[in-house]
Amino acid sequence: MAETYSQLEAGYEFPPGNFVLDASRVSLFLEAVQDTSYPYRESRLIPPMAVAALAMSTLSNTISLPPGSIHVSQELGFVAAVSQDDTLTSYAKISRAQKRGKLHLISVDINVRNQDQQTVLTGKTSFILPQPDGDK
Amino acid sequence: MTGGQLSELKEGMALPEIIKTITQRNINLYAEASRDFNPVHINEEFARKTGLDGTIAHGMLILAYVSEMMTAAFNKRWLTGGSLNVRFKAPARPGETITVSGKITKIEKVSGQTIINCSVLCANEKGEQIITGEAVLTVPET
Repeated sequence: MAETYSQLEAGYEFPPGNFVLDASRVSLFLEAVQDTSYPYRESRLIPPMAVAALAMSTLSNTISLPPGSIHVSQELGFVAAVSQDDTLTSYAKISRAQKRGKLHLISVDINVRNQDQQTVLTGKTSFILPQPDGDK
Repeated sequence: MTGGQLSELKEGMALPEIIKTITQRNINLYAEASRDFNPVHINEEFARKTGLDGTIAHGMLILAYVSEMMTAAFNKRWLTGGSLNVRFKAPARPGETITVSGKITKIEKVSGQTIINCSVLCANEKGEQIITGEAVLTVPET
């Protein structure tokens, strides 16, 4: 198994990551982003960006991004509503791993499904990684 | 506009602007909520060693402001038919005030769906672009 992002190649699949967003984590998220939107205050719905954030954190459970990494772009698709205490599983796969000169570009496709195996969120996140020490 | 009827929407219409000031406390809370404890966000000394002027906010934190604007514009429809495609152009820092804005660029009806295309922008008080991109809402015909 690869130990750093710079060793990852297109096609690499991260181990699926499970997570649940309970009321306390949703509340923490809403406080962090200063969001008082009614859909989340008056129901058990979860902000889709909280789902996206947790899905991305499951990637770092496998391999941490090195310091100096730059998050350059993000695609997200909100397919189905998520409620508090839904059990979610995040699937992620490297869709692009390219070296251009000193730059190392990585794109990761993300798909999050609920306990009924329904896709609730899709995404693609792209990073530029710092040059590994051995390549300098 | 705030969550109005789809039939009332027009190309060129502005989305409801959102203005927020970022604090280090917000960033720390976001780190906890998202479990993203990258030290460039929460450790001033570390961030300076990497060549930054100090800590920076998570890009996804600022992107959450865009999603909030879209929810304000389109209500719960955004949660089941929204999509974003953005570029992070520059870091946002504690103390900065971010203005999130957008407008409807195109409304199309395709295969029984209404597709609303919007441009979105997050900029700081100096006018520097933090996030640029597109948001799209797809609504099935009822």
